[in-house]
Amino acid sequence: MSTSLEPMPRQLPGDLAMWLFILAELSVFAILILAFAVTRQLKPQLFATSRALLDSSTGLAMTLSLLSAGLLAALAQVQVRKHRSRRAAVLLLAALLVASVYVALKLGEYRHLLGAGLGIEHNTFFTLYWILTGFHFLHVLLGMLILAWLAQMAWRRSLGPGTCSGFESGVLYWHMVDLVWVLLFPLVYLLG
Amino acid sequence: MPTSIFLLLCWLALTCLSLGTVMLGQGALILLLAVAKAWLITDGFMELRHGPQRWRWLLLSWALVLAALVGLSLAANT
Repeated sequence: MSTSLEPMPRQLPGDLAMWLFILAELSVFAILILAFAVTRQLKPQLFATSRALLDSSTGLAMTLSLLSAGLLAALAQVQVRKHRSRRAAVLLLAALLVASVYVALKLGEYRHLLGAGLGIEHNTFFTLYWILTGFHFLHVLLGMLILAWLAQMAWRRSLGPGTCSGFESGVLYWHMVDLVWVLLFPLVYLLG
Repeated sequence: MPTSIFLLLCWLALTCLSLGTVMLGQGALILLLAVAKAWLITDGFMELRHGPQRWRWLLLSWALVLAALVGLSLAANT
C-alpha cells in the first residue's frame, strides 16, 4: 500500500496479485507474438505482401494514443497520492478520451480490412493478425473499463489510504497493455 | 526531479522512439527501440525503478527475450 507522495524505495506498487496476473497475461502474449514471428519466418513472402496492406501511420497514431493515455493515467496516480482525487478523475477521463482514439482507429482499420475481404480466414498472416490484435484490443477495452471505474471512484472522493493500492493496480493493468503494444506494433506493422 | 516532470520526459522519449521506429521502418534496430520503449514503460510508468530488482528485471527481460527471439527469426530469413 502506498500512501506517501513518492513511492517507497524497493516497494512493489499495487497488489502482488495484479503483478502475478500481469505475468500470466505477458506469457500468453509472448506465445502469440512468437507464433507470429515463427510463422513469418516460414512464409516470409506471404507476410511481406500481406503486411504491405496495413497502414503503418495508423499504427503509429494508435501507439501515440495508447502511450498518451498511459501518461495521463500515471499522472492521475500522482494526484491520488497527493489526495487530489478530483484532479485524478479529470486526468483519467482525459486518458479515456485519448484511448478512445485508439479504439476508433482500430475499428476503422478492422472495417477497412473486412471491406477488402481480408478477414480472419483470408490467409495465415491475417489469421494471426486478427487473433493477436483482437486479443490486445479486448485488453484495451477492459483497461478502459477499469480506468472509467477508477475515475468515478476518484470523482466521488472514495479513494483513501486503504484503496490507493487498488488504484495503482488498475493503472498498472493499463501500462501492461501499453507494454505489449510496443512490441506488437513493429512486429505486425513494420517488420516485413 | 518531480514525478510529474519525470513522467512527461518518459512520454516524450516514448513518442520520439515511436516516431524513430516508423522512420526506420525495417531492420533489427527497431526491435532495440521497442526494448527501449518497454524499459521506459516498466521503469517510468510502472515505477519499477523503485521496485524490487527481481520484478524489474523480470519485466524487462520479457521484452528483451521476445525482441531477441523475433530478431533471430528475422536473421534466419536473411
